[in-house]
Amino acid sequence: MTHRDAIEPITCDDVRDLAAGFVIGALSPADMQRLGAHLSTCTDPHAEIAELGGVVPYLAESLTPVEPPARLRNRILDAVAAEAVASEVRLPAPVSPIPTPVPPRAIESAPSVARRSGPWAGRRPVWAALGIAAVVAVVVLGSWNLQLRATNDELAAYQRGVAAVVQAASAKGAQLAILGDPKGASPAAGVAAVKADGTVAIAMRGLAPTTGTQVYEAWLIASTGAPVPIGGFQVGSGGSGTLTDGHGPTAASVVVALTLEPGPGATAPTGPIVVSGVALAQPG
Amino acid sequence: MNAPSGPVAGRLASAADDADRAVLEQVASGRHEAIGELYERYKTMTFALALRITGDSALAEDVVQDAFVGAWRNASRYEPGRGSVKTWLLSIVHHRAIDATRRRRPTTELPEGDGPTPEPLILPSPWMEVAGRLDRDAIQSALATLSVVQREAIELGYFGGLTQLEISARTGAPLGTVKSRMRLGLLALRTALRALGPPNEGEPT
Repeated sequence: MTHRDAIEPITCDDVRDLAAGFVIGALSPADMQRLGAHLSTCTDPHAEIAELGGVVPYLAESLTPVEPPARLRNRILDAVAAEAVASEVRLPAPVSPIPTPVPPRAIESAPSVARRSGPWAGRRPVWAALGIAAVVAVVVLGSWNLQLRATNDELAAYQRGVAAVVQAASAKGAQLAILGDPKGASPAAGVAAVKADGTVAIAMRGLAPTTGTQVYEAWLIASTGAPVPIGGFQVGSGGSGTLTDGHGPTAASVVVALTLEPGPGATAPTGPIVVSGVALAQPG
Repeated sequence: MNAPSGPVAGRLASAADDADRAVLEQVASGRHEAIGELYERYKTMTFALALRITGDSALAEDVVQDAFVGAWRNASRYEPGRGSVKTWLLSIVHHRAIDATRRRRPTTELPEGDGPTPEPLILPSPWMEVAGRLDRDAIQSALATLSVVQREAIELGYFGGLTQLEISARTGAPLGTVKSRMRLGLLALRTALRALGPPNEGEPT
């Protein structure tokens, strides 16, 4: 067993001893840590690692090639396309806080998003079933900042969250809300989809990270009645957070809002509204 | 793939490597679908590797998908000086496949179960191939020059995802012996590959 104590320093001779295991990927995590600590400070280029490492790709190439299932190509291209749409903001102007709420009609004339589908002609991307407003919503969710700061795990979770929103929004009778700071001061932005059965999916970026037990609690606010809690989520260093299994009452014309709460399970909002947006039925 | 050997293979190899680099540059500059071209070139090689390591077709598919999406995401971080695009892709697939199998099996070696994969495992550093592009028969003949125990130690580590300590426990050989089998095996393979590879390539004087 290994212990997470201070890493014992190792010598250059030890590195030579570990080099083969390292290039093959067969070091224990503890050895890996020791080696990494040594290499990060050592002035010796340790050419023996590159010498042995240059052999390793031939191990993979010694295998008889195997044709993968034909579907794998599209799975990869779809995953890349979905992530590209979620992460790419190449709009002409610098990204500004999203005006809130934005009715679908108003953003239909946004910069030509349709062109994005050009290179993908002939395949049917995941968002193709949606109206252009939803596509714009997802594109506006560009996470350029997220990519800089988030871990791979957080990025992956964010992409799953966006995918869940897109999927929920495409359900019959679903409503889509674009979430932003009511005062326009915060970079926080996101989308929420409310399905006809009350299921809610939310993907957010640009939020301040949560600490301790803090959660961002999502609320559905109908034109009459008190805000109804529909679920909470935490936010990592990249500022993104997702809710994929929220559930609330079914009602037409609701506002989706987030507040920062000290812990999960709040029954009434205690903090100010961080972002909000009006859920609107999808055209078509 | 029956690539010619000798100097011709060397020129073809560098042309293929240049073409790969050009495609990866397109990927990095925003032509996302170019990743499909790299996939077409290396799908059978990467899937064979993932399948060999995971022993599970569905998991191998996930690994290859994950690896190509990871390659797309990190295309701008690829450094040509550190190996060919092919080697880079293979190293990403290898690390993800090992990671996937290690997550699946209980082990006393990993300190904290399903914790996040350390960054070196996510972004492996490839190295320059020691002998340019070689066809599979040539590589297998080079592998055949290793002793049985050397080859076993290397394969249990590279394809089996076992650590040296685990290989020692599995084979009954002392840890020091496992380490030296791996090291001597890689050195022998390097010598054999260089003898097969194009002349005047990569050999420091």
